[in-house]
Amino acid sequence: MLSIIPVLIVVANMQAVQPIIIETSELLVEITPRTSDQMGSFYEARGFPKPMLDILKKQCFITIGITNKTKETIWMNLSDWEFSSQDKVIIREHRDYWKKRWQKMNMPLNKQSTFRWTLIPEQLDYLPGEREGGNIVLPFTKGYFTFKARFATGKNKQGELLTITTDKLFCAEDAQ
Amino acid sequence: MSARIRLLLFIFITCLYSTVSTADIEPPFGIRYYDIGIAKNFNLLDIDGENFQFDTTRGQWVFLHFWASWCGPCREEMPTLQQLADTFDEDKLKIVMINTAEDEDTIFTFLSAINVELNSLMDTDGLVTETWKPRGLPTTFLINPEGEVKYQAIGGREWGKPLYINFIKQLVSN
Repeated sequence: MLSIIPVLIVVANMQAVQPIIIETSELLVEITPRTSDQMGSFYEARGFPKPMLDILKKQCFITIGITNKTKETIWMNLSDWEFSSQDKVIIREHRDYWKKRWQKMNMPLNKQSTFRWTLIPEQLDYLPGEREGGNIVLPFTKGYFTFKARFATGKNKQGELLTITTDKLFCAEDAQ
Repeated sequence: MSARIRLLLFIFITCLYSTVSTADIEPPFGIRYYDIGIAKNFNLLDIDGENFQFDTTRGQWVFLHFWASWCGPCREEMPTLQQLADTFDEDKLKIVMINTAEDEDTIFTFLSAINVELNSLMDTDGLVTETWKPRGLPTTFLINPEGEVKYQAIGGREWGKPLYINFIKQLVSN
């Protein structure tokens, strides 16, 4: 997980792709697709072993920063997020998937930990004014695809359901 | 009113007063009340190679801070942590910094480069951080002298500002 803000700032220096901004009266969502080179450089600089880098460079990384603009709690749960291309679901791997994969490969614990910190949490209650985020890892997908996210609101998740959507999401590719 | 009833009333009011006075200091923006019970103990080495056991901090307020050098807000926040450390005597407020999953060279180089005199513990495999489950990096927990986690800061804060200094002064003087 990351207060992603960390990764956002670190990666921002090498950012080539403009973020997609979705703003409502309740939420500010900043979505930035990252190229393989960007993410590879980030993890390589942190001493990630080659087998991890080889796998990570083949993924589609999207950095998502979310700000709660309201005065009440907004609940994020990644199981309420959908990615799809031409009506086919794009499956996002859960952080537990990555944990098991790195464990199976006997990757160093500290690199496993750093990787997890760069992912957006699976669930988070956004407090008023809070800004958090992190990376989503998807299989590489060609062309634009759709992203739809629902957020519960209110102290007991009983408030209005918020929905944001864009059909202009994409996986960033390195310049040839 | 009999002496017995007066005594019971006195005990009740005393208990009520002490409960309110220790638990309900209103935190400023960016800090939330976070009563999750007794803080989990841990042992880690600091950058000087000294062993640190968390349970030895009983009897004083603890400012427990998780950070990493690659985390932008952590970097921005670090000089304000130095201001905090300069403001409070260590016997009043113990500042405990934990670096998450980086090596000694990285931590040492980073702390030297930003010109702060703060020591840091090294959670080299990241396991202590995982146990504490911070919301993100940076994250700070405030732990009372009884070893109970009481508050959590959300993201990076400007700890040198009067807003936060005064809040912590209230805590440590309570």
